[in-house]
Amino acid sequence: MENKDTKEKLLREFAPQLEKTSSATLVWILFLLGVIAWGVYAFVAQVTKGHIVTGMRDNVVWGIYIVNFIFFMGMSYAGAIISGTLQLFRTEWRKPIIRMAEYLAIISLLIGPGYILLCIGRLDRLHYLALFGRIQSPITWDVIAISTDIFGCLIFLYLSILRDIASLRDFSELKIPAWRKKIYSMLALGYTGLPEQVKRLRRATDIMATMVIAIAIIVYSVLAWIFSVTLQPGWHSTIFGPYFVIAAVYSGTGVLIIAMWVFRKVYRLDQYITRKHFVAMGVLMVVLAALFGYFTFSDYLTKWYGSEKNDESLIRILFTEYYWPFIFSNYVGVLIPLLVIGIPKLRTITNITLSALIVIVALWFNRYLIVIPTLESPYLPIQDSRPEWANYAGTWVEYALMAAGVALFCLMFTIASKFVPVMNVSEMSETPKTESSELFKTEESLL
Amino acid sequence: MEDNNDNKKGSRRQFLKKGLIAGAGVVAGGSLLAAYVDKSKPTSGERVKVLTTEGELVEVDKALIHSPRVSIEESHKGIPGRKFVMVIDLAKCKNARKCVEACQKGHHLPRSQEFMKVYLLQDSEKSAPYWFPKPCFHCDNPLCVSVCPVGATYKRSDGIVLIDNERCIGCKFCMTGCPYSTRVFAWKDYPEYADDKEPYSPEASSPGKEGTVSKCDFCPDLVRIGKLPYCAQNCPMGVIYFGDIDEDTVTNGSETLRFSELIRDRSGYRYLEVLGTRPSVYYLPPVERQFPVESGFKDLEESVKNRFKNTPYGKTHKL
Amino acid sequence: MRTQNKIRIIFFFLLCFCKLVTSAQNKKDSVTEITPSITFTYLNSNDTIILTANIFDKKEQGVFAIKNAVIEFSASGDKETQNLGQAKADEEGNAILKLPVATAIPKDKDGKTTYTAKFNGKGKFQPAMETFSAKLARITVNFSKEDSLHFILVTATQVDYKGSVKPIQKEKVVVYVPRLFTLLKIGETDLDEAGTGKVEYTMKLVGDSLGNIMVLARIEENDKFGNVQGQSSISWGIPKQYYLAERPTRELWTPIAPIWMIVTLITMLTGVWAHYIYAVIQLIKIKQISKKNPENPENSGFPHNQ
Repeated sequence: MENKDTKEKLLREFAPQLEKTSSATLVWILFLLGVIAWGVYAFVAQVTKGHIVTGMRDNVVWGIYIVNFIFFMGMSYAGAIISGTLQLFRTEWRKPIIRMAEYLAIISLLIGPGYILLCIGRLDRLHYLALFGRIQSPITWDVIAISTDIFGCLIFLYLSILRDIASLRDFSELKIPAWRKKIYSMLALGYTGLPEQVKRLRRATDIMATMVIAIAIIVYSVLAWIFSVTLQPGWHSTIFGPYFVIAAVYSGTGVLIIAMWVFRKVYRLDQYITRKHFVAMGVLMVVLAALFGYFTFSDYLTKWYGSEKNDESLIRILFTEYYWPFIFSNYVGVLIPLLVIGIPKLRTITNITLSALIVIVALWFNRYLIVIPTLESPYLPIQDSRPEWANYAGTWVEYALMAAGVALFCLMFTIASKFVPVMNVSEMSETPKTESSELFKTEESLL
Repeated sequence: MEDNNDNKKGSRRQFLKKGLIAGAGVVAGGSLLAAYVDKSKPTSGERVKVLTTEGELVEVDKALIHSPRVSIEESHKGIPGRKFVMVIDLAKCKNARKCVEACQKGHHLPRSQEFMKVYLLQDSEKSAPYWFPKPCFHCDNPLCVSVCPVGATYKRSDGIVLIDNERCIGCKFCMTGCPYSTRVFAWKDYPEYADDKEPYSPEASSPGKEGTVSKCDFCPDLVRIGKLPYCAQNCPMGVIYFGDIDEDTVTNGSETLRFSELIRDRSGYRYLEVLGTRPSVYYLPPVERQFPVESGFKDLEESVKNRFKNTPYGKTHKL
Repeated sequence: MRTQNKIRIIFFFLLCFCKLVTSAQNKKDSVTEITPSITFTYLNSNDTIILTANIFDKKEQGVFAIKNAVIEFSASGDKETQNLGQAKADEEGNAILKLPVATAIPKDKDGKTTYTAKFNGKGKFQPAMETFSAKLARITVNFSKEDSLHFILVTATQVDYKGSVKPIQKEKVVVYVPRLFTLLKIGETDLDEAGTGKVEYTMKLVGDSLGNIMVLARIEENDKFGNVQGQSSISWGIPKQYYLAERPTRELWTPIAPIWMIVTLITMLTGVWAHYIYAVIQLIKIKQISKKNPENPENSGFPHNQ
């Protein structure tokens, strides 16, 4: 049952965020714009001088851009899967965080492919992908899959914010300019909560939730197959598909926890996003950490035990040149969450957020270690006297564009939170049915 | 008198030999510009002096002789009835690198791009190192062609795999697809590309374009007029043999051999056969070598020598 | 010693002397004066004599072909010198003259003809010359099949001073089959007293699309005859297969994809987008419903239907 009072209370709570921008937020936005401007400058340098300004050369042809691409796409799928599954299973504790998950899904999905564009040598010929696309190529599969995913996530997001927009349209206390009110009423599609409308909305949302989960798995597997169908030692692994999916969702939960923490702090949502939510997300993160650790271990164990010559040289590179990143990403990144969530005393909000941060960084390194060491140990030894041809080192251009991407992500998140409340107001104002509240109680005791 | 006659005989012999080889081109229906390798003639820096009617000397950059460049559409069709194969004799290679340089010159490449690469390989700890020239293998199951999203690289009926640099979007997927590290990328607009004033053709892989991938192309523009590729023409040791596998004949310019017999007698093999790419380049193992590996370092530039510092050979010999 | 030989030798020495003198003069730069060199090749092929003069300038940096140089060819016997014509050198420096054997060519007492290639010099280029002498000869190629064995029969004849045709004896004849860039040797034989030789054809070679192969027989680098060549074709080859299929195959690396790939892709895309369209239709219906019921604006409470 919809509780009108709760709703009004919530809307009043969120109104300030939508109405005005605090000076702190303004400074934050300006800072982000500054970083993005630096990124644009780096991009111009790349376009005018050619890709030689990056650290990529004939052997390591895919560098930080592709690492970031995989990373952002991974976050997106986490958002999609988390919001999709929580939506379908109608769990109670998901309500405050599901909006953030949806934002995560679509925003990182819009930024990720940008990194591929940076890696492409001839941007003026991008339309050839549509005109002359070859079905046999995994990149074509990826283009089709990502476009489908973007559409799907957009539709899913829209379905999710529809009710909130309708509430905002009807909320008379909202002090926002008329043009914004007009946009809300346009986007609300005249939704007024009629039974027929509710039914249709629910149906559409359920279908899109299922689709989004399925698409997320497929798209990320396709991305994994881009690597695993080549013969490169280290990439030609049969478990890359599921491995990438698990790693993606794992990294996404980390980002989601960070987003939860940030919005909780900034918008003072302490009563809505409680420790219980953090612990619930933490448990999810731990499960994924275990799966991620299992897949990683399985992959490297097989390579190491069989000790095929090229696998051996790859593992040697990982344990000599890339020793600390390897330890950090595959050991620390798995063990820290396990410890923090596993030991009840350590389950504080701060600890969980810190371990989420470690997880994100660890997974970025994990992607780096998947892409670059393999390219540094091809079948034919790299015999080149130029150091940058033998070993990859990212240049300022690549790091600037990476920072710009992260800044753009934060910026889009901030702007989105100013347009629609960062929590699903309509969902939250629904009184829970008895069974689900029982479920919540049981969950509470477990935690 | 006899001395003189002998002298004349010797030089006469040389003259006659050239006449034979020129005649071969005539008979075979090819053009008059038959391929021949005169080992006494260095072929670098060839320019053409043209006599004008006033007797003025005008030096013209010799467009290293090739046929008129075919259009991109035409380049998708292979030379009919042919299937090209290359045989590289590792027993004769001494890292002279004339193949590398001639190819770079013929395709107007900068020094940092090599279509033909010469490696110093050593299969295992106790086996002997050897020089390994590696062009593109023009595989019969080319992974690079399979993964190209826009169809910029393609395999023709004559077995040659070419790249259309007007179609290439520079995603570099083909470079990761090739297990032999064959392809090179144009990271910037190299000044050497502008040296080529003729229209672009995939058969010439020239002029190169920034942001696209290129590689060894088996020189179809030379093959069309009965000439061997640049590398085969310029190898001083005759290491590289080229021919049509159906005709069962390969030649390095001076020797002509039956391909099947050569492979059978000298135990020819393909590199990393296990990968399943089915290359079109066969290697003859370095048995009864004509030169020791060390001779490959003689007169070698420092920057090239430094490449082999980290090889097992380089480490033991402290290069 | 014959007068012609003496003359030849003198010419040769003169040429060398000239070269030495002129080369002494242009040690550094070719801007002032260039002394070209000519290499002269001779090929007697069936009924044509092919004279090729390659004119070049040899320097430290390399060999430079001299394009557009006009080379004059002449033939001389014991009595007369006949002008054969002239040819222009191409980009590789080759000036080629083809002479039908039927042309009356002067011969000396041995039956040999001395051919001369001469460059008269132009502007900065000094004159140059080369000579060569050979006796007219001819090789014919025939084929025979005995039991299941295939044989190539060669017959060689020479023309002497008086013009009478006689067999060539005891010279080596090499038999080839022309291939793409070169000639593949398939056998050799020595000519007997009657000027004939026999080579067995045992190979299985690919010919043209009808299975014809060309067979070439040559006397190579002979003191008396120079290079002599004769050819003929026979359908003992394996017919060549042309690879252009009517319809291209469907592989990973061909322009068109395997059918199962296309089917899978279309099925999956249709499935997914059908769901999208369904969701969008629901949204459209929501709008339509609101249009039908405009009088419930404040009912923004949303009964939760589960």
